[in-house]
Amino acid sequence: MSEETALDTERDLTTRINEYLANLDIESVGVHAFLYGVAILFMAPYVYMFTASFQPRSLAMEAQPYWIPPEITFEHYQWLLENSLIVDWTINTFAIAGVATVLILIADSMIAYSLSRLDWPGRGILLSIIVASFMVPYYLNIVPLFTIVSDLNLVSSPWGVILPAVANPLGVFMLYQFFKDIPEEYEEAARLDGFSNFQIYSRIILPLSKPIMTALALFMFVYNWNAFLWPLIVLQSNQAYTLPIGLVSLQNAQIYRPGRTLASAVIAALPLLIVFLILQRYLVRAVELQGVTE
Amino acid sequence: MSIRNRLGSITKSSDSGRAQSIGPISRETIAGISWTIPYLAAFSVFLLWPLFLGLWMSFHNWDPLFPSESEWIGLQNYVELMSDPALWSSLWNTFYFVVLTVPTIVVLSLFLALGVYREVRGKRLLRTIFFSPYVLTIAVVAFVWMELLGTNFGPLNYYLGFIGLMPEWLTSTGLAMPSLAVTTVWWLLGFNFIILLASRQGVPERLYEAARLDGASSWRAFKDITLPQMRNAILFVVIIQFIYQFQVFGQPYIMTQGGPANSTRTIVYYLYQVAFNQHSYGYAAAIGYVLFAVLVGVSLVNYYVIGGDSNE
Repeated sequence: MSEETALDTERDLTTRINEYLANLDIESVGVHAFLYGVAILFMAPYVYMFTASFQPRSLAMEAQPYWIPPEITFEHYQWLLENSLIVDWTINTFAIAGVATVLILIADSMIAYSLSRLDWPGRGILLSIIVASFMVPYYLNIVPLFTIVSDLNLVSSPWGVILPAVANPLGVFMLYQFFKDIPEEYEEAARLDGFSNFQIYSRIILPLSKPIMTALALFMFVYNWNAFLWPLIVLQSNQAYTLPIGLVSLQNAQIYRPGRTLASAVIAALPLLIVFLILQRYLVRAVELQGVTE
Repeated sequence: MSIRNRLGSITKSSDSGRAQSIGPISRETIAGISWTIPYLAAFSVFLLWPLFLGLWMSFHNWDPLFPSESEWIGLQNYVELMSDPALWSSLWNTFYFVVLTVPTIVVLSLFLALGVYREVRGKRLLRTIFFSPYVLTIAVVAFVWMELLGTNFGPLNYYLGFIGLMPEWLTSTGLAMPSLAVTTVWWLLGFNFIILLASRQGVPERLYEAARLDGASSWRAFKDITLPQMRNAILFVVIIQFIYQFQVFGQPYIMTQGGPANSTRTIVYYLYQVAFNQHSYGYAAAIGYVLFAVLVGVSLVNYYVIGGDSNE
């Protein structure tokens, strides 16, 4: 391609177009049309969400949709910031997703270390139990779990959302797979130097696992940020809501306010979309690890 | 990786551990167990214990305020469930939703993955676009689609108006569930797309070169190389989507409140209503166990029908 571009300047336009058409691969055009067609359909909801959140109510009540609004207003955002607890909900969501992620990483990496690097009877059975717990659908537990969380006085407390999220079999499984492939020699050399288990874990295993830990952390953060059913059950006061629950509580079936609704959606979506755009490769890695055959 | 392979690799690796200790409890055993404590504490209190408590509750007419005074009623909750029309209709609605979403998600994400794998411009941009809705919370997804599909002011109906159509997407019994399905495809396709793309990248290029030398058509190459090579990833995606879509809740809860006429009341939504609107905890716990049985049964069928003969 690059050799051709140098020559292109000397050719006249018609020859170039003719050549282009002659080389045109119908199949390739079809593939591009399909992929970009779907991509445009995928982008449309984002565009609509964003532009409609800046539209005054009068425009929203017109039948014609405005993909680029002729008139812009910040009134919906202003209303949300002044009259709702959306800032508190954002802070709650950050705190819950952040603390849950840290606790998941600690608990999961510790047990994965024990299962993969320490030799003790029963670890094979324990691993099977944890993998089997993967299969337990979450709705099976919501009723008894709620009674337990109420008994512990954790209703409407962030801990009522965080603690049940800690035991995460997916994280154990991913880290177990990674830890067990770390060569034995590193560990043996360290043991000869008198390293304790904790030193091996913190100075050898964890530093070697940085990429996978980052991937897992990001996946868990997104997962806990977006959690819906469980926070809906546990968080019962306006101040305690996370963003997904708070957003739904703002819905008013009687009055049609698309601008305000979509502005709240933009506020809830933006932090994660930004994180996603910056750290996409880690999230992709975390998803790939769930499906790829070794 | 298929679930069977995963289990296989685990049992293998744990059998071939280092030399077993001779003493009754070695230091390594004590260390090994103590490293599992944080996880197992959370696991026991918030996963294992509720699993048994739920079964116990399902045999009671559970009193949420005075649990100790709950009346033991044996299998009565389960007997009642069998003749509960709401259970069967929500089970049917859930199957309908699964049938609408799972094949669409799997086929569309497979085609997109194969397309993006080819020599196309803007690979990374396309990947970002297809994957991005996956990071949104259901509340955001639901709000956007409720506006897009709005009957009077939604943009979709504006364009359909030119050909004289004005469907009631979310408020008619025929279209409400398909509308939730479309929303779900947009939201969750990306996860599957990424897994299938990674799997396609793992297929050795030499297989295609050999096929080309033999003069195989691209259809033959797809049928005899691509699909068999990606089999495990496709199977994984089908099973995961099946389990996941079966548990759909947020879409009907936010977008249709289970309506119109309960046509989008799914099984988890029904369980939620019984537990947290009607406060019939024992009955709700029983629903959970019936569903679990259904899900295990269907997963086994799924597994043996689709994956039965793939013994590599």
